[in-house]
Amino acid sequence: MSDRLKIALLLAPALSIIGILFFGGLLIGFMRSFNYMPVIGLVDPDLSAYVAVFTSKEFYLSFLLTFHIAFTSTVISSILAIGAALLLRRTFIGRSLINFLFQLNLTVPHLVGAIGMLYLFSQSGSFARLGAEWNLISKPSDFPAMVFDPYAIGIILQYIWKEVPFIGVIVLANMQSLGEDYESVARSLGASKWQAFIHVLMPLIFPGVLSASVIVFAFTFGAYEIPAILGASFPKALPVLAYQKYTDVDLAARPEAMAMAITIALLSALMIYFYVRYTRRRIRS
Amino acid sequence: MTHVSIKELSKTYPGSSEPALDRLSLEIPTGELTALLGPSGCGKTTTMKMIAGLLDPSSGDVLFDDRSVLDDKPEHRGVVMVFQNYLLFPYMSVADNVGFGLKMRKVPKPEIDRRVGEMLELVKLPDLGNRRPSALSGGQQQRVALARALIVQPNVLLLDEPLSNLDAHLRFEMRDLIRGLQQKMGITTIFVTHDQEEAVVLADKVALILDGQLKQYEDADVFYKRPVDEATARFFGGQNFIPGSSNGSVFESALGRLVLPEGAISGAGKLTVRPENIRINGLDKGENSLKAVVSERLFLGTQTRLRLLVGEEKIDAIANPNEVENLSVGDAVNITLPPSSLWVLPT
Repeated sequence: MSDRLKIALLLAPALSIIGILFFGGLLIGFMRSFNYMPVIGLVDPDLSAYVAVFTSKEFYLSFLLTFHIAFTSTVISSILAIGAALLLRRTFIGRSLINFLFQLNLTVPHLVGAIGMLYLFSQSGSFARLGAEWNLISKPSDFPAMVFDPYAIGIILQYIWKEVPFIGVIVLANMQSLGEDYESVARSLGASKWQAFIHVLMPLIFPGVLSASVIVFAFTFGAYEIPAILGASFPKALPVLAYQKYTDVDLAARPEAMAMAITIALLSALMIYFYVRYTRRRIRS
Repeated sequence: MTHVSIKELSKTYPGSSEPALDRLSLEIPTGELTALLGPSGCGKTTTMKMIAGLLDPSSGDVLFDDRSVLDDKPEHRGVVMVFQNYLLFPYMSVADNVGFGLKMRKVPKPEIDRRVGEMLELVKLPDLGNRRPSALSGGQQQRVALARALIVQPNVLLLDEPLSNLDAHLRFEMRDLIRGLQQKMGITTIFVTHDQEEAVVLADKVALILDGQLKQYEDADVFYKRPVDEATARFFGGQNFIPGSSNGSVFESALGRLVLPEGAISGAGKLTVRPENIRINGLDKGENSLKAVVSERLFLGTQTRLRLLVGEEKIDAIANPNEVENLSVGDAVNITLPPSSLWVLPT
């Protein structure tokens, strides 16, 4: 048996799962988005679902909200993760413990974190009650709206809480493999600490930061459960809106849900493309 | 041009009970090229990093022209360190790498371009400015690293194992280049190496560091002729150490009475003679001549290594293969240990 065949056979189980479940689902979704659903008698493909999506004001509001959530979460998480990695690569007493605690919430599911956010930050949550108890606010409902709010603060907080260690672990591993010699060279050539960070360390860790932040952006742009739990009723995040259409009692609404899902995927890919291009160009300059 | 003084410099890393460097003191005159020589882990690079300000000493001081620089930040010391693996910034072109130090000093772009061009000429890489470091050979990367360091006109240049990553041919080329540039620019230069040959061919003076302590600081040839102790002699390839006693002019041992050069110590000690200084089957049968028997013979290409027995005492010698091609194991030979090549080490 040739090596090529062996490799193909070994990869076959994984590839078939990806092929059938992922690309199969994508293909069905793609066909349905063009109103092609033979099960309910829709056999003439058309663009009506896309027209409905793109002429809906709700879609654009949802898109803006989703972009805001994904962009803000990614940028803040990346900045905090780089800062945390810079601290954690230093040698200090208790570093192992701090490192362990930093990574601990990687194991906590998003849903659990979201419920925690509800308990802590809602207007009937722990912080609101403590604020009222300590007379910082007159009653719990005076606590600033941080969940179910139009700015999606609770959602963003939840993503930051979860994604900072995710990006941080990748960046820290990257920094540790690089060591500090490049920065030492820069310092001895006359760079200040800040210049060494901006001109030397950042470009070196950039591929790691970029990979991790792209994953975070793609995830937060397409994730359903956190906006569903912590989001406001209007506007909804795009995945929540798409799911709502998909679960509509009227089966004829499904093509619109699929058009929205395909649009989310395309927009996500497009934004990642521009994000990567822009950040690469920025870092090179 | 800076005179570097290192005073009682020590470093103990956190969590370690043993110092990596133990009270090192050195005076490095202005414009000289000094080697810090020693095996891996003896504290050489630690010393360099403390001179550069990249590491804080546990105690001691570093002075440039009699002024302590311990409180100066690395970027203000005027010290540039070239690392062993060059550490060129991989995402920058060669020209950007060379101009990095000037850019950090906010030198105008046209001035940077002009000086980068001059520096690349100086290191004989005038046409490679647009290349990425990954497209360069090891020797070229070394030159770029050197150009990047020299362009900022440092007061002190630190080189970490500058020749160790290069093949034999490039070593000679780089040695000449480093020496030539160092002498032309008159920069006080310190380099670390574990290779005694590298230290000898490049440095004006050599500081041998063993176990974090300075053993000897002399001109390179003194380490071969007058090592301070057995460890130093062994580090420089010494192999013969014969116990006995000296009265300052004659050494008595199992080999008999051997005439010593001037300056030899008195008392109990070990006589050392370098293998390459032993004359075999020479006509000189006068002073310090001995009868020996060949017990082992090893051909090494450009030289032949002989193990000789003088009575019960073993002596290693190195000879030109042509001169000893007729000798076999078991043959008797006359050997001479020239007095000028003998030295007595304290026990």
